[in-house]
Amino acid sequence: MSKPTRILTVDDSASMRALLLHALTSSGFEVAQADDGIAALEWLAVNEADVVITDINMPRLDGFGLIERLRAGNRHHDRPILVLTTESSDEKKQRAREAGATGWIVKPFDPEKLATAVRRVAH
Amino acid sequence: MTAMFHQAIIPPTDMRRITVLQGQVRVSDEANAVFGTILGSCVASCLFDPIAKIGGMNHFLLAEPPASHDPGEVDVHYGVYLMELLINEMLAQGAIKSRIRAHLYGGANLRTGMAPIGTANAAFARSFLASERIPLMREDLGGICARRVDFRPATGQVRCRTVENTLAPELKPATRTDRTSGDVELF
Repeated sequence: MSKPTRILTVDDSASMRALLLHALTSSGFEVAQADDGIAALEWLAVNEADVVITDINMPRLDGFGLIERLRAGNRHHDRPILVLTTESSDEKKQRAREAGATGWIVKPFDPEKLATAVRRVAH
Repeated sequence: MTAMFHQAIIPPTDMRRITVLQGQVRVSDEANAVFGTILGSCVASCLFDPIAKIGGMNHFLLAEPPASHDPGEVDVHYGVYLMELLINEMLAQGAIKSRIRAHLYGGANLRTGMAPIGTANAAFARSFLASERIPLMREDLGGICARRVDFRPATGQVRCRTVENTLAPELKPATRTDRTSGDVELF
């Protein structure tokens, strides 16, 4: 039996974290959660994730900053990072792409579409 | 018809009234802005940061989930989205999340014998605020009467009064499937 895909979700909203936890664990994924970019970096410094799913608007370190910091290091430069956000502007999407995001998902998310995207980018 | 004045307000004649319809989110720091809405089963969240003097309102009615779920539940995905949209827009204009305070209005069950969708929507809103640790300063939820709410976002002042139920618009509960939501774009 193969190991489940490990996902780190990064979102400052406790309600959104609860929705993500339910949706992803129901699809068979192993889930860890952080409430902002700094907490995500601290977790990733000592843990491994196959895929990171991050919000954009967060205190301390936002999603753009998180992606840039992960891409700047050696350990996570090719880690799949999906942005899950309420932002719908092309400018923000382009910024995420330039920072090194793997994909862009606009909330409210559809659990099945999210699970499909995670399976597609996980490696 | 009764009226409840939660805080004394005397709107000057140059107030700019903005109607907030179902599914909409509005945020402002303008001293003369008034967000207004009429609620039946819908719930309006009025959030404000008293230091930054920024406030916002959303207006939602969530659908009941499929029959496989417990009776009285609502599909919270769209509600969480609208709440997050409201909070993010306030933060973008300078509000600080830890300073945000909330009022909740609406969630009536206008027709007897129908599913208590208003009650379920009100429960979702309360639960969201508790989960996000946003203090709920005042609520006027439930009952069987429609409400009219006027909210001044820059001050957090609210006037809520009951109105004839016929004034509440007939609205269809929204679900996340009503929107082109959750689409995935891989770069």
